[in-house]
Amino acid sequence: MPARDPAVLRLALLALATALVAALALGLGSGGWDWQLIATLRAPRVAAAAGVGSLLALAGLALQVLLRNPLADPYVLGHSTGASVGALAALLLGLQLWIGAASGALVAGLLLLWLARPALAAADDASPKLILLGTMLAAIFGAVSTLMLALVPDQRLRGAIFWMVGDLSGADASLWNLAGAAVFAAWLWARGRSVDRLMLGADAAWLLGEPVRRLRLELLVFASLAVGLAVSTSGSVGFVGLVVAQGWRLAGVLRTRELALLSMLSGAALLMGADLLARIVVAPLELPVGAVMALVGAPCFIWFLARGVK
Amino acid sequence: MTATPLLETCALTVRAAGRVLVDGLAWRVHAGERWCVIGRNGAGKSLVLRALAGLGVPERSGQVLWQGRPQDDWPAGAAASLRALMPQQAQDRFALTVERVLALSEVAAPAVRPTELLAALDIAALGERRVDQLSGGERQRVALAQCAMQGASLMLLDEPVSFQDPAHQQVVGRWLTQAATPESGDRAWIASAHDPSWIARVATHVLALQGDGRWQAGRVDEILSAPVLERTYGCAWRSVEGAWLPA
Repeated sequence: MPARDPAVLRLALLALATALVAALALGLGSGGWDWQLIATLRAPRVAAAAGVGSLLALAGLALQVLLRNPLADPYVLGHSTGASVGALAALLLGLQLWIGAASGALVAGLLLLWLARPALAAADDASPKLILLGTMLAAIFGAVSTLMLALVPDQRLRGAIFWMVGDLSGADASLWNLAGAAVFAAWLWARGRSVDRLMLGADAAWLLGEPVRRLRLELLVFASLAVGLAVSTSGSVGFVGLVVAQGWRLAGVLRTRELALLSMLSGAALLMGADLLARIVVAPLELPVGAVMALVGAPCFIWFLARGVK
Repeated sequence: MTATPLLETCALTVRAAGRVLVDGLAWRVHAGERWCVIGRNGAGKSLVLRALAGLGVPERSGQVLWQGRPQDDWPAGAAASLRALMPQQAQDRFALTVERVLALSEVAAPAVRPTELLAALDIAALGERRVDQLSGGERQRVALAQCAMQGASLMLLDEPVSFQDPAHQQVVGRWLTQAATPESGDRAWIASAHDPSWIARVATHVLALQGDGRWQAGRVDEILSAPVLERTYGCAWRSVEGAWLPA
Protein backbone atom coordinates (compact mmCIF):
# COMPACT_ATOMS: atom_id res chain seq x y z
CA MET A 1 0.00 0.00 0.00
CA PRO A 2 1.34 3.46 -0.80
CA ALA A 3 2.20 5.66 2.18
CA ARG A 4 -0.44 8.26 1.32
CA ASP A 5 -3.17 5.63 1.74
CA PRO A 6 -5.54 6.86 4.49
CA ALA A 7 -6.04 3.24 5.54
CA VAL A 8 -2.39 2.95 6.56
CA LEU A 9 -2.52 6.19 8.48
CA ARG A 10 -5.71 5.12 10.23
CA LEU A 11 -4.13 1.80 11.20
CA ALA A 12 -0.94 3.47 12.46
CA LEU A 13 -2.88 5.95 14.58
CA LEU A 14 -5.04 3.17 15.99
CA ALA A 15 -1.96 1.08 16.85
CA LEU A 16 -0.54 4.07 18.67
CA ALA A 17 -3.80 4.62 20.58
CA THR A 18 -3.98 0.93 21.48
CA ALA A 19 -0.41 1.03 22.82
CA LEU A 20 -1.32 4.11 24.86
CA VAL A 21 -4.37 2.38 26.37
CA ALA A 22 -2.20 -0.65 27.17
CA ALA A 23 0.34 1.57 28.93
CA LEU A 24 -2.39 3.28 30.94
CA ALA A 25 -3.97 -0.07 31.84
CA LEU A 26 -0.59 -1.34 33.02
CA GLY A 27 0.32 1.80 34.94
CA LEU A 28 -2.94 2.81 36.62
CA GLY A 29 -4.84 1.12 39.43
CA SER A 30 -4.77 0.52 43.13
CA GLY A 31 -1.23 -0.09 44.31
CA GLY A 32 0.18 2.55 41.99
CA TRP A 33 3.44 2.18 40.06
CA ASP A 34 5.11 -0.95 41.34
CA TRP A 35 7.07 -3.15 38.98
CA GLN A 36 6.40 -6.29 40.97
CA LEU A 37 2.66 -5.60 40.94
CA ILE A 38 2.64 -4.71 37.26
CA ALA A 39 4.51 -7.82 36.21
CA THR A 40 2.63 -10.34 38.33
CA LEU A 41 -0.91 -8.96 38.52
CA ARG A 42 -1.65 -6.27 35.97
CA ALA A 43 0.26 -7.51 32.93
CA PRO A 44 -1.53 -10.89 32.79
CA ARG A 45 -4.88 -9.18 33.21
CA VAL A 46 -4.17 -6.54 30.54
CA ALA A 47 -3.01 -9.26 28.16
CA ALA A 48 -6.18 -11.22 28.86
CA ALA A 49 -8.31 -8.12 28.20
CA ALA A 50 -6.48 -7.41 24.95
CA GLY A 51 -6.83 -11.00 23.76
CA VAL A 52 -10.51 -11.31 24.66
CA GLY A 53 -11.30 -7.91 23.11
CA SER A 54 -9.59 -8.83 19.82
CA LEU A 55 -11.28 -12.23 19.66
CA LEU A 56 -14.76 -10.85 20.35
CA ALA A 57 -14.36 -7.99 17.86
CA LEU A 58 -13.28 -10.41 15.13
CA ALA A 59 -16.07 -12.85 16.05
CA GLY A 60 -18.57 -10.00 15.72
CA LEU A 61 -17.16 -9.07 12.31
CA ALA A 62 -17.39 -12.69 11.11
CA LEU A 63 -20.93 -13.19 12.43
CA GLN A 64 -22.11 -9.96 10.81
CA VAL A 65 -21.06 -11.28 7.41
CA LEU A 66 -22.24 -14.84 8.07
CA LEU A 67 -25.71 -13.71 9.15
CA ARG A 68 -25.79 -10.72 6.77
CA ASN A 69 -26.71 -8.50 9.67
CA PRO A 70 -24.61 -5.51 10.74
CA LEU A 71 -26.06 -5.72 14.27
CA ALA A 72 -24.83 -9.27 14.89
CA ASP A 73 -22.73 -9.81 18.01
CA PRO A 74 -21.82 -13.05 19.79
CA TYR A 75 -23.38 -11.85 23.05
CA VAL A 76 -26.61 -10.49 21.55
CA LEU A 77 -27.21 -13.63 19.46
CA GLY A 78 -26.52 -16.22 22.14
CA HIS A 79 -23.10 -17.53 21.08
CA SER A 80 -21.45 -16.32 24.28
CA THR A 81 -24.13 -17.72 26.58
CA GLY A 82 -24.02 -20.96 24.57
CA ALA A 83 -20.27 -21.02 25.19
CA SER A 84 -20.93 -20.51 28.91
CA VAL A 85 -23.17 -23.60 29.00
CA GLY A 86 -20.51 -25.57 27.11
CA ALA A 87 -17.78 -24.36 29.47
CA LEU A 88 -19.81 -25.25 32.56
CA ALA A 89 -20.54 -28.69 31.16
CA ALA A 90 -16.83 -29.18 30.43
CA LEU A 91 -15.93 -28.15 33.98
CA LEU A 92 -18.48 -30.55 35.46
CA LEU A 93 -17.25 -33.38 33.26
CA GLY A 94 -13.60 -32.55 33.85
CA LEU A 95 -12.88 -31.67 30.21
CA GLN A 96 -10.83 -28.83 28.72
CA LEU A 97 -12.62 -25.57 29.41
CA TRP A 98 -12.04 -23.86 26.07
CA ILE A 99 -13.06 -26.93 24.06
CA GLY A 100 -16.37 -27.02 25.93
CA ALA A 101 -16.85 -23.29 25.41
CA ALA A 102 -16.04 -23.42 21.68
CA SER A 103 -18.41 -26.37 21.23
CA GLY A 104 -21.13 -24.50 23.07
CA ALA A 105 -20.65 -21.47 20.81
CA LEU A 106 -20.68 -23.69 17.71
CA VAL A 107 -23.91 -25.42 18.80
CA ALA A 108 -25.51 -22.04 19.50
CA GLY A 109 -24.39 -20.77 16.09
CA LEU A 110 -25.68 -23.81 14.22
CA LEU A 111 -28.97 -23.64 16.12
CA LEU A 112 -29.40 -19.98 15.18
CA LEU A 113 -28.58 -20.63 11.51
CA TRP A 114 -31.06 -23.51 11.45
CA LEU A 115 -33.84 -21.61 13.19
CA ALA A 116 -33.28 -18.50 11.06
CA ARG A 117 -32.90 -20.46 7.82
CA PRO A 118 -36.30 -19.58 6.35
CA ALA A 119 -35.79 -15.92 7.25
CA LEU A 120 -32.23 -15.86 5.89
CA ALA A 121 -33.29 -17.50 2.62
CA ALA A 122 -36.31 -15.27 2.08
CA ALA A 123 -36.03 -12.19 -0.06
CA ASP A 124 -37.39 -9.95 2.66
CA ASP A 125 -35.27 -8.37 5.34
CA ALA A 126 -34.58 -11.02 7.97
CA SER A 127 -32.98 -8.68 10.52
CA PRO A 128 -35.68 -8.31 13.19
CA LYS A 129 -36.46 -12.02 13.19
CA LEU A 130 -32.79 -12.94 13.44
CA ILE A 131 -32.11 -10.60 16.34
CA LEU A 132 -35.22 -11.80 18.19
CA LEU A 133 -34.31 -15.46 17.65
CA GLY A 134 -30.77 -14.81 18.88
CA THR A 135 -32.00 -12.93 21.93
CA MET A 136 -34.28 -15.83 22.83
CA LEU A 137 -31.46 -18.33 22.36
CA ALA A 138 -29.32 -16.18 24.66
CA ALA A 139 -32.12 -16.22 27.25
CA ILE A 140 -32.43 -20.00 27.05
CA PHE A 141 -28.68 -20.62 27.39
CA GLY A 142 -28.54 -18.07 30.20
CA ALA A 143 -31.30 -19.95 32.02
CA VAL A 144 -29.55 -23.28 31.47
CA SER A 145 -26.25 -22.03 32.90
CA THR A 146 -28.08 -20.47 35.88
CA LEU A 147 -29.78 -23.81 36.52
CA MET A 148 -26.46 -25.63 36.24
CA LEU A 149 -24.93 -23.26 38.77
CA ALA A 150 -27.92 -23.60 41.11
CA LEU A 151 -28.24 -27.37 40.89
CA VAL A 152 -24.54 -28.21 41.05
CA PRO A 153 -22.97 -25.95 43.65
CA ASP A 154 -19.28 -26.36 43.05
CA GLN A 155 -16.39 -24.07 43.88
CA ARG A 156 -14.64 -24.89 40.58
CA LEU A 157 -17.45 -23.36 38.52
CA ARG A 158 -16.95 -19.67 39.34
CA GLY A 159 -19.91 -17.40 39.99
CA ALA A 160 -22.97 -16.47 37.97
CA ILE A 161 -21.62 -12.96 37.31
CA PHE A 162 -18.64 -14.43 35.44
CA TRP A 163 -20.83 -16.53 33.13
CA MET A 164 -23.63 -13.97 32.66
CA VAL A 165 -21.87 -10.64 32.17
CA GLY A 166 -18.16 -11.45 32.11
CA ASP A 167 -15.36 -10.63 34.50
CA LEU A 168 -11.60 -10.36 34.09
CA SER A 169 -10.58 -10.41 37.74
CA GLY A 170 -8.35 -13.40 38.27
CA ALA A 171 -7.92 -14.02 34.53
CA ASP A 172 -4.89 -16.17 33.80
CA ALA A 173 -1.94 -14.95 31.83
CA SER A 174 -2.60 -16.73 28.56
CA LEU A 175 -1.16 -15.76 25.24
CA TRP A 176 -3.50 -18.20 23.52
CA ASN A 177 -6.12 -15.49 23.14
CA LEU A 178 -3.75 -13.06 21.42
CA ALA A 179 -2.33 -15.84 19.25
CA GLY A 180 -5.85 -16.99 18.36
CA ALA A 181 -6.87 -13.45 17.43
CA ALA A 182 -3.79 -13.09 15.21
CA VAL A 183 -4.61 -16.34 13.37
CA PHE A 184 -8.26 -15.32 12.97
CA ALA A 185 -7.29 -11.90 11.60
CA ALA A 186 -4.76 -13.49 9.24
CA TRP A 187 -7.45 -15.83 7.92
CA LEU A 188 -9.86 -12.93 7.40
CA TRP A 189 -7.08 -11.08 5.57
CA ALA A 190 -6.38 -14.09 3.33
CA ARG A 191 -10.08 -14.53 2.51
CA GLY A 192 -10.80 -10.81 2.45
CA ARG A 193 -12.16 -10.55 -1.07
CA SER A 194 -14.31 -13.67 -0.73
CA VAL A 195 -15.76 -12.45 2.58
CA ASP A 196 -16.44 -9.07 0.95
CA ARG A 197 -18.37 -10.82 -1.81
CA LEU A 198 -20.38 -12.74 0.78
CA MET A 199 -21.66 -9.35 1.94
CA LEU A 200 -23.43 -9.07 -1.45
CA GLY A 201 -25.50 -12.15 -0.53
CA ALA A 202 -24.96 -15.92 -0.61
CA ASP A 203 -26.45 -16.33 -4.10
CA ALA A 204 -24.52 -13.36 -5.47
CA ALA A 205 -21.23 -14.67 -4.02
CA TRP A 206 -21.87 -18.13 -5.43
CA LEU A 207 -22.63 -16.69 -8.88
CA LEU A 208 -19.27 -14.89 -8.71
CA GLY A 209 -17.57 -18.26 -8.19
CA GLU A 210 -17.05 -18.21 -4.43
CA PRO A 211 -17.18 -21.50 -2.46
CA VAL A 212 -20.03 -20.14 -0.33
CA ARG A 213 -20.76 -23.21 1.80
CA ARG A 214 -17.15 -23.68 2.83
CA LEU A 215 -16.68 -19.98 3.44
CA ARG A 216 -19.73 -19.74 5.71
CA LEU A 217 -18.69 -22.87 7.60
CA GLU A 218 -15.21 -21.44 8.13
CA LEU A 219 -16.67 -18.16 9.35
CA LEU A 220 -18.84 -20.02 11.86
CA VAL A 221 -15.99 -22.26 13.08
CA PHE A 222 -13.55 -19.36 13.47
CA ALA A 223 -16.15 -17.26 15.28
CA SER A 224 -17.04 -20.17 17.58
CA LEU A 225 -13.39 -20.87 18.43
CA ALA A 226 -12.85 -17.18 19.13
CA VAL A 227 -15.92 -16.94 21.36
CA GLY A 228 -14.92 -20.19 23.10
CA LEU A 229 -11.44 -18.88 23.89
CA ALA A 230 -12.81 -15.53 25.02
CA VAL A 231 -15.56 -16.98 27.22
CA SER A 232 -13.23 -19.44 28.93
CA THR A 233 -10.99 -16.50 29.88
CA SER A 234 -13.49 -13.85 30.87
CA GLY A 235 -17.00 -15.28 30.79
CA SER A 236 -19.52 -13.73 28.39
CA VAL A 237 -18.50 -10.12 27.85
CA GLY A 238 -20.91 -8.50 25.44
CA PHE A 239 -21.15 -5.92 22.65
CA VAL A 240 -17.43 -5.73 21.74
CA GLY A 241 -18.07 -7.15 18.28
CA LEU A 242 -21.07 -4.91 17.74
CA VAL A 243 -19.44 -1.66 18.82
CA VAL A 244 -16.11 -2.23 17.11
CA ALA A 245 -16.90 -3.76 13.73
CA GLN A 246 -20.11 -1.83 13.16
CA GLY A 247 -18.43 1.35 14.39
CA TRP A 248 -15.74 1.05 11.70
CA ARG A 249 -18.38 0.24 9.09
CA LEU A 250 -20.23 3.43 9.99
CA ALA A 251 -16.94 5.30 9.73
CA GLY A 252 -16.80 4.19 6.10
CA VAL A 253 -14.43 1.22 6.21
CA LEU A 254 -15.80 -1.30 3.73
CA ARG A 255 -13.10 -3.88 3.14
CA THR A 256 -12.91 -7.02 5.29
CA ARG A 257 -9.11 -6.91 5.26
CA GLU A 258 -8.97 -3.47 6.75
CA LEU A 259 -11.92 -4.18 9.07
CA ALA A 260 -10.12 -7.25 10.46
CA LEU A 261 -6.96 -5.35 11.39
CA LEU A 262 -8.85 -2.37 12.78
CA SER A 263 -11.26 -4.59 14.73
CA MET A 264 -8.45 -6.62 16.27
CA LEU A 265 -6.66 -3.51 17.53
CA SER A 266 -9.70 -1.55 18.65
CA GLY A 267 -11.30 -4.59 20.29
CA ALA A 268 -8.14 -4.95 22.37
CA ALA A 269 -8.08 -1.24 23.20
CA LEU A 270 -11.79 -1.16 24.06
CA LEU A 271 -11.66 -4.05 26.50
CA MET A 272 -8.37 -2.92 28.10
CA GLY A 273 -10.00 0.48 28.58
CA ALA A 274 -13.25 -0.98 29.94
CA ASP A 275 -11.30 -3.16 32.34
CA LEU A 276 -9.23 -0.18 33.47
CA LEU A 277 -12.47 1.67 34.25
CA ALA A 278 -13.81 -1.42 36.04
CA ARG A 279 -10.70 -1.44 38.24
CA ILE A 280 -10.36 2.25 39.09
CA VAL A 281 -13.84 3.83 39.16
CA VAL A 282 -14.79 2.50 42.59
CA ALA A 283 -11.30 1.38 43.69
CA PRO A 284 -10.40 -0.53 45.75
CA LEU A 285 -13.59 -2.33 44.78
CA GLU A 286 -13.79 -3.81 41.27
CA LEU A 287 -16.67 -3.92 38.83
CA PRO A 288 -17.18 -6.85 36.44
CA VAL A 289 -15.81 -5.68 33.07
CA GLY A 290 -18.89 -7.11 31.33
CA ALA A 291 -21.13 -4.66 33.17
CA VAL A 292 -18.98 -1.75 31.99
CA MET A 293 -19.09 -3.09 28.40
CA ALA A 294 -22.87 -3.49 28.54
CA LEU A 295 -23.21 0.10 29.74
CA VAL A 296 -21.23 1.19 26.67
CA GLY A 297 -22.51 -1.38 24.20
CA ALA A 298 -26.25 -1.48 24.76
CA PRO A 299 -26.69 2.28 24.15
CA CYS A 300 -24.59 1.86 20.97
CA PHE A 301 -26.94 -0.90 19.81
CA ILE A 302 -29.90 1.42 20.40
CA TRP A 303 -28.12 4.25 18.59
CA PHE A 304 -27.35 2.02 15.60
CA LEU A 305 -31.01 0.96 15.50
CA ALA A 306 -32.14 4.59 15.63
CA ARG A 307 -29.76 5.45 12.79
CA GLY A 308 -31.46 2.83 10.66
CA VAL A 309 -28.71 0.20 10.72
CA LYS A 310 -30.58 -3.08 10.45
CA MET B 1 -25.67 -21.65 -36.77
CA THR B 2 -23.53 -24.71 -36.26
CA ALA B 3 -21.43 -23.57 -33.29
CA THR B 4 -22.09 -25.12 -29.88
CA PRO B 5 -24.88 -23.10 -28.28
CA LEU B 6 -23.91 -21.01 -25.27
CA LEU B 7 -26.94 -22.37 -23.51
CA GLU B 8 -29.12 -25.36 -24.20
CA THR B 9 -31.97 -26.82 -22.18
CA CYS B 10 -33.08 -30.45 -22.52
CA ALA B 11 -36.60 -31.18 -21.28
CA LEU B 12 -36.31 -28.53 -18.59
CA THR B 13 -39.42 -28.64 -16.42
CA VAL B 14 -40.01 -26.15 -13.62
CA ARG B 15 -42.77 -26.51 -11.04
CA ALA B 16 -43.81 -24.31 -8.15
CA ALA B 17 -46.38 -25.09 -5.46
CA GLY B 18 -47.43 -28.21 -7.32
CA ARG B 19 -48.13 -26.36 -10.56
CA VAL B 20 -46.16 -27.03 -13.76
CA LEU B 21 -44.98 -23.62 -14.99
CA VAL B 22 -42.68 -24.68 -17.81
CA ASP B 23 -42.89 -28.15 -19.29
CA GLY B 24 -40.14 -29.83 -21.29
CA LEU B 25 -38.36 -26.70 -22.44
CA ALA B 26 -36.02 -27.58 -25.31
CA TRP B 27 -34.25 -24.39 -26.21
CA ARG B 28 -30.95 -23.15 -27.62
CA VAL B 29 -29.31 -19.76 -27.18
CA HIS B 30 -26.31 -18.91 -29.37
CA ALA B 31 -23.71 -16.19 -29.05
CA GLY B 32 -24.86 -12.95 -30.61
CA GLU B 33 -28.52 -13.53 -29.71
CA ARG B 34 -30.58 -11.25 -27.48
CA TRP B 35 -33.52 -13.05 -25.89
CA CYS B 36 -36.46 -11.65 -24.00
CA VAL B 37 -38.62 -13.91 -21.84
CA ILE B 38 -42.25 -12.86 -21.62
CA GLY B 39 -45.11 -14.18 -19.54
CA ARG B 40 -47.71 -13.14 -17.00
CA ASN B 41 -46.79 -12.44 -13.37
CA GLY B 42 -46.08 -15.80 -11.77
CA ALA B 43 -45.59 -17.57 -15.11
CA GLY B 44 -42.13 -18.75 -14.01
CA LYS B 45 -39.82 -16.21 -15.70
CA SER B 46 -37.69 -15.63 -12.61
CA LEU B 47 -37.56 -19.33 -11.74
CA VAL B 48 -36.43 -20.21 -15.27
CA LEU B 49 -33.68 -17.58 -15.11
CA ARG B 50 -32.55 -18.92 -11.71
CA ALA B 51 -32.51 -22.47 -13.06
CA LEU B 52 -30.51 -21.36 -16.12
CA ALA B 53 -28.01 -19.67 -13.78
CA GLY B 54 -27.66 -22.84 -11.73
CA LEU B 55 -29.30 -21.50 -8.58
CA GLY B 56 -31.73 -23.61 -6.60
CA VAL B 57 -35.40 -23.61 -7.60
CA PRO B 58 -38.13 -25.46 -5.67
CA GLU B 59 -38.73 -28.20 -8.21
CA ARG B 60 -37.01 -28.79 -11.51
CA SER B 61 -36.10 -31.64 -13.79
CA GLY B 62 -34.25 -31.91 -17.08
CA GLN B 63 -30.86 -30.55 -18.00
CA VAL B 64 -29.23 -27.22 -18.65
CA LEU B 65 -26.04 -27.26 -20.73
CA TRP B 66 -23.56 -24.40 -20.81
CA GLN B 67 -21.41 -24.59 -23.93
CA GLY B 68 -22.48 -28.20 -24.30
CA ARG B 69 -21.52 -29.25 -20.78
CA PRO B 70 -24.07 -29.92 -18.01
CA GLN B 71 -24.07 -26.93 -15.64
CA ASP B 72 -23.38 -29.13 -12.59
CA ASP B 73 -20.07 -30.22 -14.16
CA TRP B 74 -18.74 -26.65 -14.21
CA PRO B 75 -16.45 -25.59 -11.39
CA ALA B 76 -17.80 -22.47 -9.66
CA GLY B 77 -14.94 -20.29 -10.88
CA ALA B 78 -15.30 -21.24 -14.55
CA ALA B 79 -19.08 -20.91 -14.32
CA ALA B 80 -18.64 -17.34 -13.08
CA SER B 81 -16.93 -16.29 -16.29
CA LEU B 82 -19.56 -18.07 -18.38
CA ARG B 83 -22.84 -16.76 -16.92
CA ALA B 84 -23.95 -13.86 -14.75
CA LEU B 85 -27.36 -13.24 -13.20
CA MET B 86 -28.92 -9.93 -12.36
CA PRO B 87 -31.61 -10.61 -9.73
CA GLN B 88 -34.93 -8.78 -9.80
CA GLN B 89 -34.11 -7.03 -6.54
CA ALA B 90 -30.68 -6.52 -4.99
CA GLN B 91 -30.53 -7.25 -1.27
CA ASP B 92 -28.24 -4.67 0.26
CA ARG B 93 -27.66 -5.28 3.97
CA PHE B 94 -24.29 -3.52 4.22
CA ALA B 95 -23.42 0.06 3.45
CA LEU B 96 -21.17 -0.63 0.44
CA THR B 97 -20.45 2.03 -2.16
CA VAL B 98 -21.31 1.63 -5.83
CA GLU B 99 -17.59 1.65 -6.65
CA ARG B 100 -16.89 -1.17 -4.18
CA VAL B 101 -19.81 -3.31 -5.33
CA LEU B 102 -18.67 -2.99 -8.95
CA ALA B 103 -15.07 -3.86 -8.03
CA LEU B 104 -16.25 -6.98 -6.19
CA SER B 105 -18.20 -8.09 -9.27
CA GLU B 106 -15.18 -8.36 -11.56
CA VAL B 107 -14.42 -11.94 -12.59
CA ALA B 108 -13.42 -12.16 -16.24
CA ALA B 109 -12.38 -9.23 -18.39
CA PRO B 110 -15.57 -7.27 -19.09
CA ALA B 111 -16.49 -6.57 -22.69
CA VAL B 112 -16.23 -2.82 -22.16
CA ARG B 113 -14.11 -0.48 -20.11
CA PRO B 114 -15.73 0.30 -16.73
CA THR B 115 -15.80 4.06 -17.38
CA GLU B 116 -17.56 3.53 -20.71
CA LEU B 117 -20.00 1.12 -19.11
CA LEU B 118 -20.92 3.52 -16.31
CA ALA B 119 -21.35 6.39 -18.75
CA ALA B 120 -23.48 4.27 -21.08
CA LEU B 121 -25.79 3.30 -18.20
CA ASP B 122 -25.87 6.87 -16.80
CA ILE B 123 -24.44 5.91 -13.40
CA ALA B 124 -21.00 7.51 -13.74
CA ALA B 125 -21.82 10.08 -11.04
CA LEU B 126 -22.87 7.48 -8.45
CA GLY B 127 -19.47 5.92 -7.66
CA GLU B 128 -19.17 7.24 -4.11
CA ARG B 129 -22.83 6.72 -3.20
CA ARG B 130 -24.02 3.89 -0.94
CA VAL B 131 -25.97 1.21 -2.80
CA ASP B 132 -28.63 1.09 -0.08
CA GLN B 133 -29.37 4.78 -0.57
CA LEU B 134 -29.97 4.78 -4.33
CA SER B 135 -33.37 5.08 -5.97
CA GLY B 136 -34.91 1.89 -7.34
CA GLY B 137 -34.03 2.79 -10.92
CA GLU B 138 -30.44 3.79 -10.09
CA ARG B 139 -29.90 0.59 -8.07
CA GLN B 140 -31.24 -1.43 -10.98
CA ARG B 141 -28.79 0.14 -13.43
CA VAL B 142 -25.95 -0.45 -10.95
CA ALA B 143 -27.07 -4.11 -10.75
CA LEU B 144 -26.91 -4.30 -14.53
CA ALA B 145 -23.41 -2.81 -14.43
CA GLN B 146 -22.40 -5.39 -11.78
CA CYS B 147 -23.63 -8.11 -14.10
CA ALA B 148 -21.66 -6.63 -17.02
CA MET B 149 -18.52 -6.20 -14.90
CA GLN B 150 -18.51 -9.94 -14.26
CA GLY B 151 -17.55 -10.27 -17.92
CA ALA B 152 -19.56 -13.45 -18.45
CA SER B 153 -20.47 -14.59 -21.97
CA LEU B 154 -24.11 -15.03 -21.05
CA MET B 155 -26.00 -12.43 -19.01
CA LEU B 156 -29.26 -13.50 -17.39
CA LEU B 157 -31.28 -10.41 -16.49
CA ASP B 158 -34.41 -10.55 -14.36
CA GLU B 159 -36.47 -7.52 -15.40
CA PRO B 160 -33.67 -5.05 -16.17
CA VAL B 161 -36.03 -2.13 -16.91
CA SER B 162 -38.93 -2.62 -14.49
CA PHE B 163 -37.94 0.45 -12.39
CA GLN B 164 -36.66 2.63 -15.27
CA ASP B 165 -38.33 5.84 -16.38
CA PRO B 166 -39.07 6.04 -20.15
CA ALA B 167 -35.78 7.83 -20.91
CA HIS B 168 -33.72 5.28 -19.00
CA GLN B 169 -35.62 2.39 -20.58
CA GLN B 170 -34.10 3.70 -23.82
CA VAL B 171 -30.66 4.11 -22.19
CA VAL B 172 -30.67 0.53 -20.95
CA GLY B 173 -32.17 -0.73 -24.21
CA ARG B 174 -29.45 0.95 -26.30
CA TRP B 175 -26.72 -0.53 -24.12
CA LEU B 176 -28.26 -4.00 -24.21
CA THR B 177 -28.65 -3.87 -27.99
CA GLN B 178 -24.93 -3.44 -28.51
CA ALA B 179 -23.93 -5.78 -25.65
CA ALA B 180 -24.60 -8.86 -27.78
CA THR B 181 -24.41 -8.76 -31.57
CA PRO B 182 -23.71 -11.46 -34.16
CA GLU B 183 -20.78 -9.40 -35.49
CA SER B 184 -19.01 -8.81 -32.21
CA GLY B 185 -18.67 -12.40 -31.26
CA ASP B 186 -19.21 -14.51 -28.24
CA ARG B 187 -21.82 -12.89 -26.00
CA ALA B 188 -25.56 -13.27 -25.51
CA TRP B 189 -28.18 -12.23 -22.99
CA ILE B 190 -31.58 -13.39 -21.79
CA ALA B 191 -33.82 -10.86 -20.07
CA SER B 192 -37.33 -11.06 -18.71
CA ALA B 193 -39.39 -8.05 -19.75
CA HIS B 194 -42.98 -7.00 -20.24
CA ASP B 195 -43.30 -4.20 -22.80
CA PRO B 196 -43.59 -5.70 -26.31
CA SER B 197 -42.65 -2.38 -27.96
CA TRP B 198 -39.39 -2.21 -25.96
CA ILE B 199 -38.74 -5.88 -26.68
CA ALA B 200 -39.31 -5.34 -30.41
CA ARG B 201 -36.58 -2.69 -30.39
CA VAL B 202 -33.89 -4.53 -28.37
CA ALA B 203 -34.37 -8.29 -28.75
CA THR B 204 -33.58 -10.67 -31.59
CA HIS B 205 -35.54 -13.58 -30.13
CA VAL B 206 -38.38 -14.16 -27.66
CA LEU B 207 -39.35 -17.01 -25.36
CA ALA B 208 -43.03 -16.81 -24.40
CA LEU B 209 -44.14 -18.70 -21.28
CA GLN B 210 -47.88 -19.40 -20.97
CA GLY B 211 -47.60 -20.19 -17.26
CA ASP B 212 -49.32 -23.57 -17.65
CA GLY B 213 -46.30 -25.47 -18.97
CA ARG B 214 -46.65 -24.39 -22.60
CA TRP B 215 -43.97 -22.24 -24.19
CA GLN B 216 -42.95 -20.91 -27.54
CA ALA B 217 -39.50 -19.76 -28.65
CA GLY B 218 -38.46 -18.06 -31.84
CA ARG B 219 -37.34 -14.93 -33.66
CA VAL B 220 -38.78 -11.72 -32.34
CA ASP B 221 -40.92 -11.09 -35.46
CA GLU B 222 -42.42 -14.59 -35.21
CA ILE B 223 -43.35 -14.45 -31.53
CA LEU B 224 -44.43 -10.82 -31.19
CA SER B 225 -47.72 -11.30 -32.96
CA ALA B 226 -51.25 -10.59 -31.83
CA PRO B 227 -52.19 -14.28 -31.33
CA VAL B 228 -49.09 -15.18 -29.29
CA LEU B 229 -49.30 -12.03 -27.15
CA GLU B 230 -52.99 -12.68 -26.56
CA ARG B 231 -52.30 -16.27 -25.53
CA THR B 232 -49.47 -15.14 -23.26
CA TYR B 233 -51.16 -12.26 -21.50
CA GLY B 234 -54.83 -13.15 -21.83
CA CYS B 235 -55.82 -9.86 -23.48
CA ALA B 236 -56.07 -8.66 -27.06
CA TRP B 237 -53.19 -6.67 -28.65
CA ARG B 238 -52.86 -4.41 -31.66
CA SER B 239 -49.84 -2.94 -33.37
CA VAL B 240 -49.95 0.79 -34.07
CA GLU B 241 -47.06 2.17 -36.10
CA GLY B 242 -44.61 -0.35 -34.65
CA ALA B 243 -45.82 -0.02 -31.05
CA TRP B 244 -47.79 -2.77 -29.33
CA LEU B 245 -50.83 -1.71 -27.31
CA PRO B 246 -53.18 -3.86 -25.23
CA ALA B 247 -56.64 -3.42 -26.64
